[in-house]
Amino acid sequence: MRVPLTFLKAGETGIVTFITVPSRGGGPRGRGWGLRKRLVDMGLTPGTRVTVIKSAPFRGPMEILVRGSRLALGRGMAERVYVEIDR
Amino acid sequence: MTEKKLRIALAGNANVGKSLTGESEVLIQREGRWEIARLRDIVEHTLASQPSARLGDSEISTPNSLFVVSLDPETMRAVKAKVSKVLRHRETRRLVRVRTRSGRVVTATRDHNFIVMLNGELRVVEGEHLSPGDRIPILEETPPVPEGISSTKISWDVVERIEEVNPKGEYVYDLVVEGYENFMLANGLFVHNSVIFNQLTGLHQHIGNWPGKTVEKAEGTLHFKGYEIDIIDLPGIYSLSTFSLEELISREYIAVEKPDIVINVVDASVLERNLFFTLQLMELETPMVIALNQMDIAAKKGIKIDCKKLEKLLGVPVVPTVAITGRGIYQLLEKAVEAAEKGGIKPLRIEYGEEVEERIRKLTDLIEKIEFKYPARWTAIKLLEGDREVEREIQKIKPEIVQTARRLSKEIEKIHGHPCSTVITSERYEVAGRIVREVQQIVTPIKPSLSERIHEITTHRVLGYLVMGLVLLAVFYSIFAFGDYASGILEDLLYGLEPPFKAIFGEGLLGDLLWGGVMEGLIAGITIVLPYIVPFYLILYMLEDSGYLSRIAFLTDSVMHKMGLHGKAFIPIMLAYGCNVPACLSCRIMETQRERLLAAFVVTLVPCAAVTVIVLGLVGRFVGVNWALTLYIVNIILVFVLGRFAFNILPGEPTALIMEMSDYRIPHLKTVLKQTWFRLEEYIKIAFPLIMVSSFLIKTIEVLGLLGVFQAVLSPVATVWLGLPREVGITLIFGILRKELMLVMLAAILGTTDFGKVLTPTQMIVFTIVAMLYIPCIATIAALAKEFGWRKALLITVFEVLFAITAGGIASRLLTLINPPY
Repeated sequence: MRVPLTFLKAGETGIVTFITVPSRGGGPRGRGWGLRKRLVDMGLTPGTRVTVIKSAPFRGPMEILVRGSRLALGRGMAERVYVEIDR
Repeated sequence: MTEKKLRIALAGNANVGKSLTGESEVLIQREGRWEIARLRDIVEHTLASQPSARLGDSEISTPNSLFVVSLDPETMRAVKAKVSKVLRHRETRRLVRVRTRSGRVVTATRDHNFIVMLNGELRVVEGEHLSPGDRIPILEETPPVPEGISSTKISWDVVERIEEVNPKGEYVYDLVVEGYENFMLANGLFVHNSVIFNQLTGLHQHIGNWPGKTVEKAEGTLHFKGYEIDIIDLPGIYSLSTFSLEELISREYIAVEKPDIVINVVDASVLERNLFFTLQLMELETPMVIALNQMDIAAKKGIKIDCKKLEKLLGVPVVPTVAITGRGIYQLLEKAVEAAEKGGIKPLRIEYGEEVEERIRKLTDLIEKIEFKYPARWTAIKLLEGDREVEREIQKIKPEIVQTARRLSKEIEKIHGHPCSTVITSERYEVAGRIVREVQQIVTPIKPSLSERIHEITTHRVLGYLVMGLVLLAVFYSIFAFGDYASGILEDLLYGLEPPFKAIFGEGLLGDLLWGGVMEGLIAGITIVLPYIVPFYLILYMLEDSGYLSRIAFLTDSVMHKMGLHGKAFIPIMLAYGCNVPACLSCRIMETQRERLLAAFVVTLVPCAAVTVIVLGLVGRFVGVNWALTLYIVNIILVFVLGRFAFNILPGEPTALIMEMSDYRIPHLKTVLKQTWFRLEEYIKIAFPLIMVSSFLIKTIEVLGLLGVFQAVLSPVATVWLGLPREVGITLIFGILRKELMLVMLAAILGTTDFGKVLTPTQMIVFTIVAMLYIPCIATIAALAKEFGWRKALLITVFEVLFAITAGGIASRLLTLINPPY
């Protein structure tokens, strides 16, 4: 099942399947270009295992473990990362 | 002899350095004889008889045939080991003296490393972090130890006391023992060896900005093996795609300036992510050497890395280094120079999937026909990835290439179902991952370290905020308490100069202008900078270096989103409560120009320390603390509303928080001091001239009796709209020049400091609201102009002045209407 990363509970692991970008524009040079690039550059490429460590309260960022390092990911960003839950 | 020149660029992060006193006695074998010698004599003797090199502030030399006793951590036995380098450097800081239960003593710089046994494993710990009870290895039977030394077994001693002592003599000394990284003192104690890292990155004699950019540029020079080497520290980067200015600068430097060698500092404890960047550097086809740094931290995490294999896989020399101890730096420089002498070793090429390679080849063929500063293959890859900068530049030369690239990139997207840039990045990560799997071995299960436990607490949903609140409270309280005290003393001291000054220049017009104009401006500057700004910066950089700021960003992200920013913006805003000028400058931590401007705008609405004086001194004192507090709350609400408003009207892509929360570490003092100094210099350059000019202007206007003219012009706004006494309007104008003087000026104009007698509570509140909201001061305007250009700076200024006056007028009417019981 493909769900946004924000659906994962603390301790759950998912495998990145795709990243969506804002609808306006899109494409290689649209509004989402930088956003997607940033995520992918930080290691969130399709096929990567991501473990959610915790979420900050009040819809704050998520703390995730990717490729051996700890990332803070704003919720708006995390919602764009779709993962296959790995149980 | 003139030195040959080399340019080395550092990409990545590194730091640190340490030694023992010259009095320390070491058991050595020199010319075949075992003897006990003082460290000072050993080093000085080698320096005098062998060619030496300067590395930052250390002098280093290679001894001919010098052996010591080292501890082999594998067998836990003593071995004879060759000393590869000796060094000395100046030391003025306090030292630590460590005494063991058996009475053995060693004195070292505070950051010198000791070997201790912790939880059943050998660890390297800095002297100042040793604690009584730590077990350190010794050799019970010390000299005379003959060749059969390896049969001697290690025993253990216990640290009993650690104390600070003053350094005796100018220099401290150390030995480098390759392979074992430690040596035994004559009293049987084993100590870790040196330590030259900071000379590479810590030598920045010059820190400035990259031309035309507001990104820090750090460079320095060192002398090594007959070369004068320029070291350029490239700004911190993750990827070489144009996302941030830092990245753009770094790759442009590498491609255009063509340094002889790029040293890529790689964090061994997070190898995969770091290799991703290394792979991109390799694509730039620049000659490079890799410093595999933080090997100690990697070891603590149970990570073992096969350097030789890594070297082979990348086709680039790899030198293991340890930032804390400085291990391997000399070798690193040696390798870099060696590589440069050979004309640089070109790294291996990363191969992508065939469907990508095929299209890279097509593009490369096209690009090779034109003149372009970057390598053709790299350019082709960047075009496929849709890199805007590269596209823009190629467009100018040959637009057809860009068209072709877009078409090819669409084809790849079709094949993979992901955008082409994602495909390429994924493949790069895959390569990095594959290399990591081949060279890296996790030897022990990871157990939570202290750093992790602190991380847990400081990002906890309840405790995290509690800790943050306490930390911020402590920071602000200590800075204001200290600042108030220190600035009082400084002021008394500096105003003591007035009588002699007036004696020289006379009491007349000239003396008055010079003192009241120039000198008082200078005094004001000094009494702000030393007591407030310096501690503020020190604490800020300490928090940053430790890693805590990224946790604050994590915790405050959701709140910052309410005003259209993300977690990192909390840092400039926090700074702004101290002073808006450094806060504006610190907006650079935001990733995009849009966010920097947005954050700076919000920052200028935050009441700085000078405004706090007005709020507390006027409203707090004469109307009531509750009202002062209300004003702060109103201000915070307005900050949110206006931030949101600016967020909605500013064009561009909004970005959200994405950052690495690296492990906590003890802040490195030298880095912190350097950062503070650099920022301070910048602050002084921007603010001081303006503070002095402003004071001079105010004084001149006063002396020339022009105050009345200003009053007449301003009176409609002041009296009719704001409902303030006619005379008060003028202080608002001068507030732009010197906000901290507003109360003093108000007192002078009204002829009393008992404001309660001349102003109604409503008037005081209105006055304070205007002071709180309009542009902080002329120095802030200058800081804004420096970062964003005059047009934007003036736009913000005009907007805020109009907004403040509007808000003041509305407040005046509302308060009159409600007529609250004060």
